[in-house]
Amino acid sequence: MMDKAQAPIGAAAARTAVSGGGISFKQIFTQYKILALLVAIAVIWAFFSFKTDGGFTSARNLSNLMRQMSVTGILACGMVFVIIAGEIDLSVGSLLGLLGGAAAVLDVTHHLPLPLSMAIVLASGLLLGFVNGYLTAYAGIPSFIVGLGGMLAYRGIVLGITGGSTIAPISPEFEQLGQAYLPPAFGIALGVVLFVLAVALAWRQRVSQAQHNLPVIALWRSVFRVALTGIVLAGFVSTFNSYEGIPLPVLILLVLLGVFSYIAKQTVFGRRIYAVGSNMEATRLSGINVRAVKLWIFGLMGLMCALAGLINTARLAAGSPSAGTSGELDVIAACFIGGTSMRGGAGTVHGALVGALVMASLDNGMSMLDVDTYWQMIVKGAILTLAVWLDVATRTGRR
Amino acid sequence: MSAYLLEMKAIAKRFDGVPALDGIDLAIRPGECIGLCGENGAGKSTLMKVLSAVYPHGTWDGEILLDGEPLRAKSVRETEAAGIIIIHQELMLVPELSVAENIFLGNEPTLPGGRLNYPLMNRRAEEILAELKLPDVNVVLPVKNYGGGHQQLIEIGKALNKKARILILDEPSASLTASEIAVLLEIIRDLKAKGVACVYISHKLEEVAAICDTIVVIRDGKHIATTAMQGMNVNSIIAQMCGREMSQLYPSLPHPVGEVLMEARHITCWDPDQPQRKKVDDVSFQLRRGEILGIAGLVGAGRTELVTAIFGSYPGAYEGEVWLEGKRVDTGTPLKAIDAGFALVPEDRKHHGIVRDLSVGENITLSVLDRYSRMSRIDDHAEAHEVGEQIRRLALKTASPALPITALSGGNQQKAVLAKMLLTGPRVLILDEPTRGVDVGAKFEIYKLMLELAAQGISIIMVSSELAEVLGVSDRVLVMGEGRLRGDFANQGLTQEMVLAAAIGQGQHQDQVQERGQS
Repeated sequence: MMDKAQAPIGAAAARTAVSGGGISFKQIFTQYKILALLVAIAVIWAFFSFKTDGGFTSARNLSNLMRQMSVTGILACGMVFVIIAGEIDLSVGSLLGLLGGAAAVLDVTHHLPLPLSMAIVLASGLLLGFVNGYLTAYAGIPSFIVGLGGMLAYRGIVLGITGGSTIAPISPEFEQLGQAYLPPAFGIALGVVLFVLAVALAWRQRVSQAQHNLPVIALWRSVFRVALTGIVLAGFVSTFNSYEGIPLPVLILLVLLGVFSYIAKQTVFGRRIYAVGSNMEATRLSGINVRAVKLWIFGLMGLMCALAGLINTARLAAGSPSAGTSGELDVIAACFIGGTSMRGGAGTVHGALVGALVMASLDNGMSMLDVDTYWQMIVKGAILTLAVWLDVATRTGRR
Repeated sequence: MSAYLLEMKAIAKRFDGVPALDGIDLAIRPGECIGLCGENGAGKSTLMKVLSAVYPHGTWDGEILLDGEPLRAKSVRETEAAGIIIIHQELMLVPELSVAENIFLGNEPTLPGGRLNYPLMNRRAEEILAELKLPDVNVVLPVKNYGGGHQQLIEIGKALNKKARILILDEPSASLTASEIAVLLEIIRDLKAKGVACVYISHKLEEVAAICDTIVVIRDGKHIATTAMQGMNVNSIIAQMCGREMSQLYPSLPHPVGEVLMEARHITCWDPDQPQRKKVDDVSFQLRRGEILGIAGLVGAGRTELVTAIFGSYPGAYEGEVWLEGKRVDTGTPLKAIDAGFALVPEDRKHHGIVRDLSVGENITLSVLDRYSRMSRIDDHAEAHEVGEQIRRLALKTASPALPITALSGGNQQKAVLAKMLLTGPRVLILDEPTRGVDVGAKFEIYKLMLELAAQGISIIMVSSELAEVLGVSDRVLVMGEGRLRGDFANQGLTQEMVLAAAIGQGQHQDQVQERGQS
């Protein structure tokens, strides 16, 4: 078809097959940046492993680390959309505390069956997200202020309903949500399914590139990529299996990674999130209901707060009134470390999750080394600033 | 031969390996005005960014000599110190600061203790504005109080204040009225007499012909010709720019005009900043099927406000009725307007037209993405196919639909925005300054497309500040002035003088409106 489309656009062709024609130099750059981040994680892991005589990279600790990260990661999935759309949500930490606390109260005080209390909490999360979204998109209050107000108000409510004390003990079924493991056999099956999926996607990409007259990437590169995926999957599954198996929260996070990446790249809603964040006025003039888009983004964010709140409560086996305090900062930091653009319009879900892994690794490693809390805060703050500085510096350097 | 003030030799610049400039030579004598001409994307702005060190020395090849000495500027600050001042296409004013503060931005005079010397600044600013024939501007008021034309002149005042030796004007007259352009050209003549050299970039070749001594034409990043203006005319410049003779500036295609399709009744818009002030005052008009209706008027006449009110995107309060085929339709938001069969290509392409982070293809399908999706899942093949169709249909020049939209030239970005709106299948297409910042060749293609669409029965409303263009393509012309409808002419034997007279408010307004009945 497009005869002009044959001009080679180099590495830019990489994303094309997946999204049917949407790449920018910034996105290629984001791809390279992910590699840089993975190297950074490797360095951090090597350092902590050396300092703890391998304790940090033991299967048990990595399993633990991933479980810790899952709460921040779930929130980051929602937050990355909020930031791509050019907004911010500061209330997520408090909302997580409120919804997690509510789940504990429903379970401990009212003895509701788990599916019912989960449904109530998830619905409340969606609803409170819509409230945030309504105030931002329809009432026109800047999202920073809505978030700040929500941060205080939601924390106040959770203190009110819990009376300021920890709600425990939660029912064993509820505990399972945060502490269960996928049996090793299922883990292997999952790994195989994912590998087959990777092969299928790579194949589809090649076919699609050929159909669109785009330069098809070299066969050895496809094979290399698939093989790499296979090695990573094998390492991932075997590490978890050599401890107890894949933790349920990590599995949930993986599913969310898939779902949110799909939304971002393959759906109308996803395209609109990027468009709204990049140029809201032009998007509105294109006949898109930008307010509805934002309302749903905040709704999804609320839903993620509910899910994270449930898992957090289950993991701690108790509803703590201080759960999630300053969690919003970790989540926002994760998004920015993962390359989400501060002015909106660009960012990826997997980037944000890698950012969350960086934050969780620092937390976990420094705790193992018994680093003082104040040092932990200083290091995390410095890493966030450094990461964004590198991002900004390299971006302007490439025109 | 007088000595050259500035010489640029064999300038070459690449973006990601793609050559944007390929061996350009340019030499300027003191007091000379050079007209730098070329189509959009030819490399004019890039060349000037090299000269003014927006692209610092080392990021391009070649040599710049100032007074015979090599100039290796690393920043705009250094070139400004050397007397090379550029006035960019986009305004670089701070809206909240006063006129005087803007004029002195970056080199503010101070009193002991670092306080700003406001008396000096204001006095000097008033002198500069008097030179620019803008005595009614109050220099202590914020710049945002003044319209686009005034702001452009204030920007020029800012450059005058910097003791320019070489003044680069990149499309300075885009938002100026005819009388303001006359003032601008007068100022440039004064500067030339004082020995200041100018580089004048404009798509309005009449201005170039009026003011420039030498014409430098570049095409596709290559130097085509350097010719003295004597012995040249607008047509010969166009021929050099396009590499061919443009036999006609406006295409013609007969298209039947049918019955009344759309009617706007009693549209009134209030200024969002001053709710008492009416920007559009009770304007009503009709539009026929397959008709091209031009809306002319001076800057600030309320034309953009009128069409954005019809499309539901006017930012302030407004009222009025829109009727389509005898039925009243709700066009309260752009979404509703598009559903009702309206489409708008906005005036401000950068802020209202393109979505910067999306690719060319993603921009084109933005409005109608639902069509290529099932259960919200985008069908890549269907989307890519449609994008290819549109790119072919509008002769949009892009290496790939996957390129970022910002990589395209202005004219091609405009085509992408047009393609996006055409995909919505409009019955009434509103084009607000469709050819602003678009080169001659692409202009012709846009006019041709408008005529083809009209022949298919689509009705077109075109707002334009270029009278020649309004008269060149419209079937009927509305003239607005100070928010009111000042004239409604059939475009037969209509002259620029008649339209201007109506816009300024002379002439028998009533008679002109009656003329409509006979058309």
